[in-house]
Amino acid sequence: MSPVRVVPVAAIAAALALLGLASPCAAVMAVPRTLDPSAAAAAHTGSMCGVCHSDVRVEEHQGVHEAEGVACIACHGGDPTATTVETAHRGNYRGKIARKDIPALCASCHSDVAKMRSYNLATDQLELYRTSKHGQRLALGDDRVAVCTDCHGVHEVRATADPKSMVFARNIPATCGKCHGDQKLMGAYGHKDDALAEYKAGVHGRALLEGGNDSAPDCTGCHGSHGATPPGAIDEGRRCGQCHSKVRAAFAAGPHKQELDDQGLPECVACHDMHRTAPVTIALLDTVCARCHRPGTKEAQLAGTFKTMYTQASTDVDEAEKLVAEAARIPLYVDDYRSRLALAHTALMESMPMMHSLDVAQVEPLTRKARSIADEVKGEIQHKLAGRVWRYVGLAFMWFYLVLTAMLLWRARARALARGAA
Amino acid sequence: MEQPTRSRRSVLGWVEERVSLTEIVSFLSVFGLLPTELDTTKPLKEALAESLRRPLPSYARWPHVLGILSFMLFLFLGVTGALLAFYYQPTAAEAYLSTTAIARDVSMGALVGQAHHWAAILFLAVLLLRILRFYFGALYGKGREIVWMVAILTFVAAANADLTGRLLPWDTRGYWSMVRAREVTDALPGFGPLATFLVGGAGLDSLILTRFYVLHMFVLPAILLVMFYVHFSSVRRVGLSFAVTASRPRPLRVALYDVLLLIVGLFGGLITLSVLWPQPFMSAADPLVTPHGARPPWYLLAPHAVQQVFPGTVPMVVRGLLIEAVFAVILLLPFLVKGDVTGSRRGRFAGVGLAACAAWVGLTALGWWLEVYR
Repeated sequence: MSPVRVVPVAAIAAALALLGLASPCAAVMAVPRTLDPSAAAAAHTGSMCGVCHSDVRVEEHQGVHEAEGVACIACHGGDPTATTVETAHRGNYRGKIARKDIPALCASCHSDVAKMRSYNLATDQLELYRTSKHGQRLALGDDRVAVCTDCHGVHEVRATADPKSMVFARNIPATCGKCHGDQKLMGAYGHKDDALAEYKAGVHGRALLEGGNDSAPDCTGCHGSHGATPPGAIDEGRRCGQCHSKVRAAFAAGPHKQELDDQGLPECVACHDMHRTAPVTIALLDTVCARCHRPGTKEAQLAGTFKTMYTQASTDVDEAEKLVAEAARIPLYVDDYRSRLALAHTALMESMPMMHSLDVAQVEPLTRKARSIADEVKGEIQHKLAGRVWRYVGLAFMWFYLVLTAMLLWRARARALARGAA
Repeated sequence: MEQPTRSRRSVLGWVEERVSLTEIVSFLSVFGLLPTELDTTKPLKEALAESLRRPLPSYARWPHVLGILSFMLFLFLGVTGALLAFYYQPTAAEAYLSTTAIARDVSMGALVGQAHHWAAILFLAVLLLRILRFYFGALYGKGREIVWMVAILTFVAAANADLTGRLLPWDTRGYWSMVRAREVTDALPGFGPLATFLVGGAGLDSLILTRFYVLHMFVLPAILLVMFYVHFSSVRRVGLSFAVTASRPRPLRVALYDVLLLIVGLFGGLITLSVLWPQPFMSAADPLVTPHGARPPWYLLAPHAVQQVFPGTVPMVVRGLLIEAVFAVILLLPFLVKGDVTGSRRGRFAGVGLAACAAWVGLTALGWWLEVYR
């Protein structure tokens, strides 16, 4: 359809809608983003709410509810066909929903298994919410806590997978940060307001927000979403272990866990910090162990042992990789070496989680494996590189014969010159 | 001692009765390997003996050596190129793998590849030196116009052969230097659209690779061969150079020994360069990742700089026309210079030439530098 023709059609559709005479056809034209045109048309056929609440109507249009046929009256009641304010706002009209009533209102549909089945949505959000700190405080009458609309939006409720949604993975830190970064609000509860800033500076926040790695945890990854609760000291280890399963297993096998649990101290965050989780490097052993263990103690020496084992192995692997790159530029066959070094890297990578067991006997085989692979590869490449010295020998031989040939030619030339002169 | 001589003579005589050996051998004279004519009416031995006695300044020694040296490098490139072609596969999927296989798995393949590479560098360098010698020796005057223009066009054809050859390994450096080179040439008015039309598009894909392969293997060598033919035949007509009398004429036989000595030196030099300074092997071309410092080949850096340094208000067409005008002036130099270039006039011309060379070197350096800090 040419743009010239769109204008009159849209204008006529708008005029009909305003007159309350809009046919389903005109409604479809006015709502081009509709997923299910018949449902949306049904939701707003004859609805006059937008005549006064045009801004709300625009917001609603961006969300999923309108597209699924959830009309204004589903939440607000009233008579959508009425043409005066008085007649529209009567009967079961509920007006603006009080914050304390919002979870129950949303749950009237979202806890309905039959209604949610076709969307494959969970129906336990309200139950979970009631277990959360937010839900618990709301039940006590504190309506400053987050309710459904604070995170999902009021009229513009978008699907979780929509990148513009407030609860899309990369938007979640900012959504939670709206309240949890608010000094005044958090101060009222005796909470710190630095969680968002700390998270952004940490390895998880950088991976999600800067690196675009959507599998990195956002706030809900550790705290849960509807059932959001700060994990307790013991719970926190379990949460981290959801992703860092090898670390968790090694840690559980070592002496730290029992000791910390007995004293009611946090596990992972004791060394790795909470929201500002530091990137894992071997240099962490220099700083975090010293938080509890004085230099010279048996424990501090163990950290030194781990660091030496790891550093030696990683240096060996780096050197082998440099040699492989050098050989590849010649080029020599290096595909086999590359796959062997990949194994060395895996062993090195496994050694770090294993250090949480604090057991040298478990870490040492891994670093030894990495070193032995790297040493083998280095030896084989050096042998091949050393063999290339024969090229120079060949070059010397070649020049010997070339010089000999040149001398013979020169002599023949001199003879020819003498004959020519004669 | 008598017996074998007689039998040789008889075999030669037997063949000579059926085939004109003299005519076949005279073919060599076409490409400068034998600078004098052979009397094709006489038997080979007699004609050669007559020819070899003819006095001539040695064309395989300075300052005449550049012509025969460039042709030898061309032959060397032909031989090594043919050896490489036995294993090379000109498709985007196989090109890099086959180049790797040549360098890694084929016996002496790396050496042949490196020698081809070094010969290409020297080939262009010698052709450029030849142009400079022609200019500063004022060897473009009346009667030598064709020699001058052929020297220029030979360099252009050789540069094109170098350019098409760069893409063939389908490695990072070759691919991206080709991409940057096409940015320069495609922006030239007239020539750019024509070149794009002839190779069938502005992109670099498998089809373009095949076309470049045909250009590199067949079309450009054929053009170069014609250029050499025209050059050597016109040199036979107008003489080696005006400075002929300066070189002491000697029998051709002596000059042929000089050619053989040159071949020995050239072969040794190329193998030595290949062994001591091999070209490092690059990774496969990735059309999605531009490596740092990707730039056109050295002979396109000056036009590249000219295209880049002008402010945006100067249209690209004007910049391109400027480059093409400079090229036209160089190509048509013999027709633009009236009268003899001798005495103080020659000194002035040398000054202009030095200034032009300095400008060219400066622009080349600028073109190179533009890609360092970008």
